[in-house]
Amino acid sequence: MANIAAQRIKREFKEVIKSEEVAKCAIKLELLNDSYTELKGEIAGPPDTPYEGGNFVLEIRVPETYPFNPPKVRFITKIWHPNISSVTGAICLDILKDQWAAAMTLRTVLLSLQALLSAAEPDDPQDAVVARQYKENLEMFKLTAKHWTNVYAGGPFVNSDCDDKIKRLIDMGIEEHQARVALSSYNWVLERATEQLFS
Amino acid sequence: MEESMTTSQGGESDMECSDNEFYDYYNSNDDIDIEQIDPRNIDPEYFEYNCLLEEQVDRLLNETVETLSNNLQIPPSLAKVLLHSNQWNINEVTKKFNDNSTQTLIAARIEPDAPPSSLLLTRLSSYVYCSVCATLQHFENFHNLSCAHMFCNECWTMHFEVQINQGISTGIACMARDCIVLAPEDFVLKHLQRPNMREKYQQFSFQDYVKSHPFLRFCPGPNCSIVVHSKDIKAKRATCNQCKTIFCFKCGCDYHAPTDCHVIKKWLTKCADDSETANYISAHTKDCPKCHICIEKNGGCNHMQCYNCKHDFCWMCLGDWKSHGSEYYECSRYRENPNIAHESVHAQAREALKKYLHYYERWENHSKSLKLEEQTLEKLRSRINQNVMSGLGTWIDWQYLFTAANLLAKCRYTLQYTYPYAYYMEGGSRKELFEYQQAQLEAEIENLSWKIERAETTNRGDLENQMDIAEKRRTTLLKDFLDE
Ligand SMILES: [Zn+2]
Ligand SMILES: [Zn+2]
Ligand SMILES: [Zn+2]
Ligand SMILES: [Zn+2]
Ligand SMILES: [Zn+2]
Ligand SMILES: [Zn+2]
Repeated sequence: MANIAAQRIKREFKEVIKSEEVAKCAIKLELLNDSYTELKGEIAGPPDTPYEGGNFVLEIRVPETYPFNPPKVRFITKIWHPNISSVTGAICLDILKDQWAAAMTLRTVLLSLQALLSAAEPDDPQDAVVARQYKENLEMFKLTAKHWTNVYAGGPFVNSDCDDKIKRLIDMGIEEHQARVALSSYNWVLERATEQLFS
Repeated sequence: MEESMTTSQGGESDMECSDNEFYDYYNSNDDIDIEQIDPRNIDPEYFEYNCLLEEQVDRLLNETVETLSNNLQIPPSLAKVLLHSNQWNINEVTKKFNDNSTQTLIAARIEPDAPPSSLLLTRLSSYVYCSVCATLQHFENFHNLSCAHMFCNECWTMHFEVQINQGISTGIACMARDCIVLAPEDFVLKHLQRPNMREKYQQFSFQDYVKSHPFLRFCPGPNCSIVVHSKDIKAKRATCNQCKTIFCFKCGCDYHAPTDCHVIKKWLTKCADDSETANYISAHTKDCPKCHICIEKNGGCNHMQCYNCKHDFCWMCLGDWKSHGSEYYECSRYRENPNIAHESVHAQAREALKKYLHYYERWENHSKSLKLEEQTLEKLRSRINQNVMSGLGTWIDWQYLFTAANLLAKCRYTLQYTYPYAYYMEGGSRKELFEYQQAQLEAEIENLSWKIERAETTNRGDLENQMDIAEKRRTTLLKDFLDE
């Protein structure tokens, strides 16, 4: 079985390298070991989304039963998105679960994830806090996602208001990421974030 | 048992069926007794059913498959898929098929909803590329389902083995992207050589077929393979003739009259949640809320799909995933921050808790009593044994005491299950009547229990009188409140 998995990954790897998406720098795939079981994926944040200009790294683990079972994929780069856990990077996407088909490829997966960044599905959330913000306060969601893209994925949009508030919390002895999570979860209301952190 | 099965076959083969005939035929057993007193009127728990062995179920299913296969002139394996996806209602499938065969085959996932692309059918050389294993092979090595997606035999075999190892059998689909065409039994078996795989596949699909058949229910007893068959799909008491397990035919759980199937489920979930919420949440395995199979959580995602019944549910609250579209946050937030509670709500919650505890204590108490009374029965047995040894009567003379103890257990069991019923009942005169009858039953049961515990000093006639009263109270309550 492992034989087919390695054979497929080898082939897919070549395919992705030659693909037009790679030429456009939209997706990237990198082998991490010789047994073709661990790969690093990269997708560019799609234009006209809060993720634009960011570069998102993915951990891809190929199970022994690949391609009869889906690859295990999660975000390494921290991201603010309703269908991706802001804590673990776990992804809620049907093709990575029961909608997987053996004829699909890693390229399909990377492109589907990129599509997920363009079109979130807040009714099938992975991160409940993010999903709620998305539904109740879309502007706040966009601002937060852009800020995370800037900080973690190298996106170009600097938000000094966010940075200031985080600095205030850091000054109170809170660790930076923890401060960002608290502020993001409470719509950047400093008082509420502080309350939550110290309660 | 054998007889009723023969009857049903006769009925099916020469049926030219309207829906009415379908129901008439399924109730045909009643005709014989029409002049006599209908047992249903005397015994609210009356239930007609058979206990079948695996071979008998196989025969029952295969006969239905053959009939449909002949009626529609389609291969048996496709007839099986059609029946499985239509709750084994042969008349309905036949009608659907005659109305629109294409649509029926598409709905059952036997045919693709778009005609296969002609590109896939043209071969340029005798070598074909398998997109799953990424190799070029001779076309004779390839097979496809009705959707024309071709894959090599080795890949089909591996696909089937991987799926079967995950407990999937009747639901295995094609390997192509976005293709939902199902692999019928003969296609799967053709690609399975290993005997243990074939056996597993047949075992899993047998389970699927029984579960999709409204008239069949697996006996829930441990390691029991009996299947109970009844045409009366009601929350009635079925007793397995092999392992003696008693269960509700409709939901397959412990028998729960007078409470409804869904109410008892709600109640049991509530009891489990409130007693050990913490353990429950942190556990890595939980039971699927629908089919109760054990599911392991091995990823971060809280949206779970049961590999067995495909039910989508929430890992945290075990609620239906569909209802989580808008309420998900409430679900996760409560578990994460149990301290957030408003004062006014607090008072309400206390009141609700008080009410719940009232019913729960009684429910739990009767359950414990049932267990204690089992011990009483054991002690009784040894005392009677001593009596018999020392010449005080024979076992037959003392038999009435065991009858009494069994009746007590039956009555107390019903009483236990009246508490969830009452808990969810709306206030009003009907609830008053129910609680009145419940109180009466409770009183008579405690009387009976008292007398049995003092068996040797109780007059036999007195005890039998008490048995009669208790059972009458039980029957009255069930007559008034069961199946309403
Ligand atoms: Zn192949
Ligand atoms: Zn197909
Ligand atoms: Zn049994
Ligand atoms: Zn039931
Ligand atoms: Zn999910
Ligand atoms: Zn939930």
